[in-house]
Amino acid sequence: MKCFTIAWKDLNLRLKDRKGFLMMILMPLILTAILGAALSGVMGGDEKLPITTVGVVLQDRDELAKTFVEEVLKSKDVNEFIKVRSVSSEEKARQLLKEEKMDAAIVIPAKWNEHLKDGRLKELTLLTDPGKSLQASIVESITTSFIDKVVTLAVSSKVVMEQLAASTPAMTGKLDMGQAATEIAGKLQVQKKTWESTVSETPIGKRSVSSSQYYAAAMAAMFLLYNITIGAKSLLNERETETLARLMSTPTSRMQIVFGKFLGTFYFAVVQFTVFTITTHFAFHIDWGKNIVQTATVGLVYSFAVAGLSMLIAVLIKQEKTADLISGIGIQISAVLGGSMLPLSVFPNIMQKMANITPNKWVLTSFIDIMSGTTWNALVLPITVLLMIGVISLSIGSAKFKLQ
Amino acid sequence: MLQIKDMKKSFGKNEVVKGISFSIEKGESFGLLGPNGAGKSTTISMICGLLPVDAGEIVVAGKSVKTDPMNVKKKIGVVPQDIALYPTMSAKDNLIFWGKMYGLTGSQAKKRGAEVLEYVGLTERAKDKIETFSGGMKRRINIGAALMHKPELLIMDEPTVGIDPQSRNHILETVKKLNQEGMTVIYTSHYMEEVDYLCERIGIVDHGRMIALGTKQELCNRLTSGTVITLELNEVTSEFVTLVNDLPFVEQVVTKNETVEIFVTDANLAIGETVSKAVTSGLAVQSVHVREPNLESLFLQLTGRSLRD
Repeated sequence: MKCFTIAWKDLNLRLKDRKGFLMMILMPLILTAILGAALSGVMGGDEKLPITTVGVVLQDRDELAKTFVEEVLKSKDVNEFIKVRSVSSEEKARQLLKEEKMDAAIVIPAKWNEHLKDGRLKELTLLTDPGKSLQASIVESITTSFIDKVVTLAVSSKVVMEQLAASTPAMTGKLDMGQAATEIAGKLQVQKKTWESTVSETPIGKRSVSSSQYYAAAMAAMFLLYNITIGAKSLLNERETETLARLMSTPTSRMQIVFGKFLGTFYFAVVQFTVFTITTHFAFHIDWGKNIVQTATVGLVYSFAVAGLSMLIAVLIKQEKTADLISGIGIQISAVLGGSMLPLSVFPNIMQKMANITPNKWVLTSFIDIMSGTTWNALVLPITVLLMIGVISLSIGSAKFKLQ
Repeated sequence: MLQIKDMKKSFGKNEVVKGISFSIEKGESFGLLGPNGAGKSTTISMICGLLPVDAGEIVVAGKSVKTDPMNVKKKIGVVPQDIALYPTMSAKDNLIFWGKMYGLTGSQAKKRGAEVLEYVGLTERAKDKIETFSGGMKRRINIGAALMHKPELLIMDEPTVGIDPQSRNHILETVKKLNQEGMTVIYTSHYMEEVDYLCERIGIVDHGRMIALGTKQELCNRLTSGTVITLELNEVTSEFVTLVNDLPFVEQVVTKNETVEIFVTDANLAIGETVSKAVTSGLAVQSVHVREPNLESLFLQLTGRSLRD
């Protein structure tokens, strides 16, 4: 198959091109290192949360308050960054905060769970230092999460018990309400054990990845995008240097030439992605997710999409200069819009919707999903979109391909 | 080997090839001449299957370019005017690549690549990148790439443009040798002496038509004038041209810048008369040359232009 010979030739030419190698392989690695390090404090994930000393004022020996302090604030999952300190009064807590001996304080009122059976808790007071907003938000997040769970569980158990009491088995004595209550309570205990896991770490968008992980994925998405112009320029260059005419004077079909050029770009994108992921994994300890097959699949379909787009661009433009212009402007816009520069979550909704037209958005969100653990089902849509981009672009490119 | 019948090609409303017909026998060396824009390259592109013909038929080794282009392409080797090679690849890798494009297997291409390098005299530079080669060496590899599959018909489109005399001689010798070994050659050039040296038959194309076709001798016999006088003047005036044209032994006058080419039947009479007319017209004669008619003269007489215009 001559298309493979053309593709292999193109791959070799690109791998031997020092300037191209620097641009396509080294540059994304350098940028990942710089951006990941520079923004490590802004994003969550592997980065350690600041150690937060929380003062707790218990105004009585309420059971729920005790549970909150012992099983949540002092749990092994948060005790790495939450240090609990008992404080005798609210005034004392304010004073300690002022003296910066604590980062935040929670004042739990007496009889905190008095109205729990009505589905609400007495309001507690959270004292925070305005200069320590991150610590304040951590404490607030933990507290709110606990309250929400308690209220939800209380309301749901109340509703279940009411329904059971009104049911025929209970009315006729066939259902032991005491035993049923015990079983429900048991299940609620199991639920309680998951409270801690609901505490988030202020991640980027909705996913818990580190800045290094995010920018590794973002740079991979952005720099693979450059294959669109590199692939298009390769075909334009063959046209300008008459090697395309020479190729067409050999017994090689037009389709084999187009597919060979497409494959050449695809091969290089795959090599670029593979080198990038392996290097970032071992050199920068980037975790690309537990499922390497998912990462590889998304990388492959993205390479397919950019290679297809390169063929489309090659038939739409006439000169290499235009390809450079597209590279300079178009890819930068796509990179910004697709979240390669800044996380998509910081953009307004309209821009987040517009991002759907960029292939790098689909691959970036997929990588982030894979990094934070996702199912194949969740990847069906982005994979389909990327495949469609590749197939449609390649089809148009093949149909419109001409010698001149 | 090649039969062309009433071949036509237009680009929009511009008819570039207006019904060209000619044929070439197997083993023949054929020169295709014509000034820029005459339709030579379009003719060659159509023979190679790069451009579709609007009308007419092209048959190469019994296969129609229109209906069986792939088999035709297998029999043709094309040497383009430009260096159609990959500059950052070595000479050997370029040859192997083009060999594979012509259908050779990897091992066949390697073996043939070594033979071709030997043929074009660049074996010692096999591993060097094309971009490090001189213009002449690039031209030799450019020819070599077209020889990889041992074509039956070699089409060369001005293969010696812009190279040193040594490389030019090497190329001419190579082409001569290939032709002597039985390869059919179509050669286009701006250098009349190259065509004169290499080709048995010549076709002259102008304004999309074949205006002369035959062996060198046949074409020279078509020249009505016996001698060409070239006058180099300080300027050429229309009055002078009219005066010369009116002389009884003058067949044709062709001017270019300060030079006048006068086709005459009697050189002895013409020299004195034409110089006298120049002086009468107030022109200063810088030089006078007298030569026997050749292909260049024929070309000039037929097209009114010199080959390199």
